[in-house]
Amino acid sequence: MNYEWLTLWGYVPEFLKAGWLTLQVTLLAFVLSLVLGLLAALASLSPMAAIRFVARAYVEVIRNTPVLLQIFIVFFGLPSAGIALDAYWAGVIALGLNVGAYLSEVFRAGIQSVPRGQLEAAGILGLERGQIFTEIVLPQAARAVYPAIVNYLIQLLLGTSLLSAIALPELTGTATVINSRTLLYVQTFSVVLVAYLVLSNVLSWIAGQLGARMFHPPLVVRPRARFGGLALRRANRA
Amino acid sequence: MSFELLRTSLSILLQGLVTTLLLSVASIVGGTLIGLFAAVLRSFGPWGTDRIARLYTELFRGTPVLITLMFIYFGVSYFGYAIDVFAAGVIGLSVYQGAYIAEVFRAGIEAVPKGQWEVSQILGLSRTQAFAFVVLPQTGRIVLPPLIGQYLSLIKDTSIVSMIGMSELMHGGQAIVDRIGKPVEIYGLVALIYFVVCFPLSQWVRHHDRRRLS
Repeated sequence: MNYEWLTLWGYVPEFLKAGWLTLQVTLLAFVLSLVLGLLAALASLSPMAAIRFVARAYVEVIRNTPVLLQIFIVFFGLPSAGIALDAYWAGVIALGLNVGAYLSEVFRAGIQSVPRGQLEAAGILGLERGQIFTEIVLPQAARAVYPAIVNYLIQLLLGTSLLSAIALPELTGTATVINSRTLLYVQTFSVVLVAYLVLSNVLSWIAGQLGARMFHPPLVVRPRARFGGLALRRANRA
Repeated sequence: MSFELLRTSLSILLQGLVTTLLLSVASIVGGTLIGLFAAVLRSFGPWGTDRIARLYTELFRGTPVLITLMFIYFGVSYFGYAIDVFAAGVIGLSVYQGAYIAEVFRAGIEAVPKGQWEVSQILGLSRTQAFAFVVLPQTGRIVLPPLIGQYLSLIKDTSIVSMIGMSELMHGGQAIVDRIGKPVEIYGLVALIYFVVCFPLSQWVRHHDRRRLS
């Protein structure tokens, strides 16, 4: 221990505030990405070719361009279209759009993983289309895609670091500022590194607990990663 | 956007693309070597090296690539040495993606049936020989689609190296916007260039990757 670490102690409130901001943006963007992902997945399974094309175009454009560029286009480009957003909402929207595209692929695979025979059986039993989707398909698809969704939540958390490029004072942005004030590169970034590890582990732990309670039979998660954020890599499908 | 402007912008961006591609290729080579090494250690490493390999993969999978890059670039100068931003980018991306690539290889190694090892042993091959000539070649079919997928995200991640000051494609776009404005047109053009590079790869992965859910 030396003076350098003590200097950083004075910045603890700022780090905490930044951590809270990171968590907020992560969760808001996650909600947005779930909605967009589900809509795009349904659109990609639509009988109408035009709707399928729109969904496909959205997914391909997002998946084949860097997320940093998407953040820049939302933050610097949208004002030209008359929509000026602050860094906070630009970040939420850009990350939500990004992860939504990846999630739509996951959701689509999940929906298609439900055997067709079940849909036919439900139809014969007199369920309506909407009912079949919400009562038969969605619960089973949710279980199949849950581990993958949690992985994307963690990716999203780590992705918020890029919002420092549009001057959002989240963890990385705050670290850069403290860095230029104190010049304690190694110490500052060590603090942030640990902060990300803690956040990613806490989020995946909560997700694991939720998974065990939400599904029947419980989604048993093999606790693989005690360190990085990806505790839910494989879940058994009992 | 005038034709003249388009022409100058495009020439700056294409220069950036060359750097982006160089950065990508160097990091792909580095990341694959590191990933393969970490996967082998994790599966067969003696004296606790498997744990170190695991720590490595979990550490980098739980932290953002930007932090890795800043750590390397600013950290080295903190200790009084200078590091070229290109070198910092290659090292950072290789080490970071190596952690993901290690998981890809590990899945491939685990997918080869145990019997293959036993047969190789009976035929008189050493463990190293069995791995290099029997197991590794068979992992190709399983490993290749997710591996290419990982390369794809590496290529996109090179844009993040612009944040430590590397002048590649993304940085070129920023420089033009700083000078003349027109963010929609310029960033749209940058996006188009990335798309042209990435789309063929992602289509290949889409057609070959069967494990879509994970």
